[in-house]
Amino acid sequence: MVNLTIDDTQVTVPKDATIFDAAKAAGIRIPILCHDKKLQPFGGCRMCLVEVEQMKGRQIPACTTPVTEGMIVRTTTDEIVKARKLVLELLLLKHPIDCPVCDAAGDCDLQNLTYEYKVNLNRFQDEKFQHQIDYENPLIERDMNRCIHCGKCARICDEIVSYGAYTFMNRGIEAKIGTEFDGPLNCEFCGSCVSVCPVGALISRPFKFKARWWALNKVKSVCSYCGTGCQLTLGVKDGKVLTTIYDENQGFHNGQLCTRGRFGYQFVNSDKRLATPLIRKNGVLQQASWDEALTLVAAKLAEAKNAGGKAVAGLVTARLTNEELFLFKKLFKDGLGSDNIDHSAGYAHAALTAGAMESFGTVASPAAISDIQASDLLLVVKTDAYETHPVLGFEINLGVKRKEIDLRIISDKRGKLAKLPKAVTYVHKPGQEVALVNALAQVILAENLQDATATGIEGFEALKQQLADYAPENVAATCGLDADAIKNLARDYAKAAKALIILPLGLGYPGHGKALAQAIANLTLLTGKVGKEGCGVLYLGEKNNSQGAADLGVYPTAGGADADAIMTGCLNGSIKTLIVAGENPVVSYPDRKRVEAALDKVEFLVVQDLFLTETAAKAHVVLPACSFAEKGGTYTSVGRAVQRINQAIKPVGEARSDFAILNGLVASLTGSAPYADVAAVFAEIAATVPAYAGLSLAELGDTGAILPVTIKPRFVPAGAAVIPVESGKLALVTGSALYHCGTMSRFGEGPMHVCPEGYVELGRDDARALSVKEGDTVVVKSASGELKLKAKVGTRMPQGVVFAPYHFGEASVNSIAAGAAVTWVSISK
Amino acid sequence: MIMPLLQGLKITFLHMFKKPVTLQYPKERPVVVPNYRGLHALKVSHEQAKCVACYLCPTVCPAKCITVEAGEDAKHDKYAARYEIDLLRCIFCGYCVEACPVDALKMTQEFELANYKREDFVFVKERLLEKK
Ligand code: SF4
Ligand code: SF4
Ligand code: SF4
Ligand code: SF4
Ligand code: SF4
Ligand code: FES
Repeated sequence: MVNLTIDDTQVTVPKDATIFDAAKAAGIRIPILCHDKKLQPFGGCRMCLVEVEQMKGRQIPACTTPVTEGMIVRTTTDEIVKARKLVLELLLLKHPIDCPVCDAAGDCDLQNLTYEYKVNLNRFQDEKFQHQIDYENPLIERDMNRCIHCGKCARICDEIVSYGAYTFMNRGIEAKIGTEFDGPLNCEFCGSCVSVCPVGALISRPFKFKARWWALNKVKSVCSYCGTGCQLTLGVKDGKVLTTIYDENQGFHNGQLCTRGRFGYQFVNSDKRLATPLIRKNGVLQQASWDEALTLVAAKLAEAKNAGGKAVAGLVTARLTNEELFLFKKLFKDGLGSDNIDHSAGYAHAALTAGAMESFGTVASPAAISDIQASDLLLVVKTDAYETHPVLGFEINLGVKRKEIDLRIISDKRGKLAKLPKAVTYVHKPGQEVALVNALAQVILAENLQDATATGIEGFEALKQQLADYAPENVAATCGLDADAIKNLARDYAKAAKALIILPLGLGYPGHGKALAQAIANLTLLTGKVGKEGCGVLYLGEKNNSQGAADLGVYPTAGGADADAIMTGCLNGSIKTLIVAGENPVVSYPDRKRVEAALDKVEFLVVQDLFLTETAAKAHVVLPACSFAEKGGTYTSVGRAVQRINQAIKPVGEARSDFAILNGLVASLTGSAPYADVAAVFAEIAATVPAYAGLSLAELGDTGAILPVTIKPRFVPAGAAVIPVESGKLALVTGSALYHCGTMSRFGEGPMHVCPEGYVELGRDDARALSVKEGDTVVVKSASGELKLKAKVGTRMPQGVVFAPYHFGEASVNSIAAGAAVTWVSISK
Repeated sequence: MIMPLLQGLKITFLHMFKKPVTLQYPKERPVVVPNYRGLHALKVSHEQAKCVACYLCPTVCPAKCITVEAGEDAKHDKYAARYEIDLLRCIFCGYCVEACPVDALKMTQEFELANYKREDFVFVKERLLEKK
């Protein structure tokens, strides 16, 4: 620690602090323009000049100068004020000063400082910039005339996002922030640059001119897309969510969001939102009142209850809040006497509810997000972890680049993570993850690299026996990897002092189920890399509340039908009533034809959703539900973080929250009084679910809590499924596109501007062999059907493997993929 | 007793020879001073309202009676797609005129604002455009 004096205040700060940090700790504000706490110090703007007595009154930038013992600092003297005024005058010299039409006004650092330092006149004169404004790209308007050259956009895109879309170009007065060949911006559109730009040079196009910053009501919440659980602030005006607002003090991610979180909020006030309940009369869905709809649903459910509950089933999305999921489970367990409930097609959460449950004795990740930065080596299963959970991808980027954490990736494709420094990517044949992970474990045993604790864990001998078949030499050929490469990877993993495995889950990844989770668990247990800081496995649940759904047991726990069995039940008539809350199985569950047939067959289908989705269109009763912005509650995200969402606007139209709908149904079917509010249900969760014990909604506050986890380890041998190889065909793997999450992001304008439709991605070699070019429409044919998709050609896919994202309703990939890890397809023009 | 009465009658009598102060409105029109704060007008320049929809006037308005909605024109510039003043709530303070950074708003000498229906007191953009 270092002691110094700033403006007569004594401060003690760590020795790597800068004067700026020290002043902040002492509550003294030093004006900044180019500094950001997330980025490396830059020292470009000279706004933060201070005087240090020991340096004979010379003015030095506070943001780049480290503190030294006994320093005496002055942050405001007449000289400093003069110097800062000069900085502002020079910045304003070529600045357009079009604040009346600039969206940054009110939240603009330049404007605020100009006001604060009373810069009314400019001693200098010059012509204004005449840079062309980039109106071309879909989401970010770039007006370089307003740029003050703080470099934050270029730095954040490089340091945190690791994309590198911007750089300074030209020199002197001509200098500006440029893009590739100075063309329109074409990047990931995460919007990080927009959020840190201190002026109005970078603005959000979807929000352009929509409202003034000061007129927005700012409501803190949590993103409702993926399981990362990023905290965000909604900008609300006149009962509409107009934008997301950057707050650098929110969450582990310091306010960083991905493109979905930042630009995908429009689904909340989409004009496609359902406004009233619908009831099918004479074959068509017609508007109805809530009374009519709920009476009908309650009557049908009472009928199902009296028939014994076996013939009723429920599918619920892991996007609902914990409290809603709890009520859904209660509706089935206590209200209907049925255990036929599931979410995410069953397989997308099996890694947690079956895999982790058997191997670790818990349904949660035995690691938290903070372990990423605390680790020495990250082993990422599939580069897709970046696409599924982009902000966790930023964490990986930061760890690898700033903390020099080693990165190893096993994946069926290359991808962005593979480009990080020190990343070593092992591209294996699709569907071979389990065999590969087993081979790693085998090497560790064969080379005696296991931890001393391993032999004491139940099932060690059985595992040893089972792994004998997975010697690298045996699996190398099927995995498409070199035996030595497998051995090296195993050694790297075993020898790292701390190592964390990251496994993304989701509807697009049918191979990431129970077996893979267990193979990975065995690996961590063998090497003793679990239950310590920087170690363990981080299961990346796909949806915002995937972890909550696992915690609350929203899957069959007493021998009931899982998602797949529910579909079978609907088809063979044993399930007659089906409630679907927020799920869209027609698009997201495997084998579209089968799902459609099942939903057509079921006698009474109730769908609760925001939109008339492909699934809702088949319903007998559709109940309009609320989005995350219209309700309160909690989500539990990756790494067991439980966080609160807050109601920002009134429900759209006549929509009611799933909480209200389910609360009413539970009460009418169980005959008990409805819960008073969300807090009452949360209290019951805290009382009944061990991990949540002792928590209360009020105490969660803005930051939330990390749930505790205890591990009861056990080795469970995981067999690798044999992937039949069809020669002459291409292996189709499904997954997530960076711009989408599930099927809801299709209703956000932002994601649809960038990625409006499904596609099939081919490697260069395959594209050349098929003479397919980027943008061509190709026919993709599998055993179960064929599809027309746009082709995307790149370097990501290895030869013989093609990729298609699953989010889209038209030409949905589940009409050719039936839930296998690999689907064999042929592609023609 | 009689004197005050006579004095009063004298005043009455003298007034018969003075110029009357009553304005025979509406036959006669008043002279309105130039800085009178009457109905607002949106100034026009180059055949366009000068207003750039900066939202400063609705922000400053103490009666909260101005509604502005910005739009983006073909040249990507900002303009007031909607501009309304609810004159029933307006207190004619003139702050809006003062706040406008582009001098797009003025208050005219127009004071005859009576109307039959409440809706008619809401002046939309077309009604507010300055008449040349
Ligand atoms: S960037 Fe700031 S100072 Fe410049 S025009 Fe916009 S609001 Fe005004
Ligand atoms: S565009 Fe914004 S963030 Fe980038 S250098 Fe200019 S002012 Fe800074
Ligand atoms: S989609 Fe996921 S990563 Fe992106 S902002 Fe939302 S929670 Fe964060
Ligand atoms: S005159 Fe005053 S009250 Fe009337 S619109 Fe202008 S600011 Fe509002
Ligand atoms: S202050 Fe002037 S430019 Fe701004 S919205 Fe009002 S009238 Fe338009
Ligand atoms: S903030 Fe220190 S130089 Fe810019």
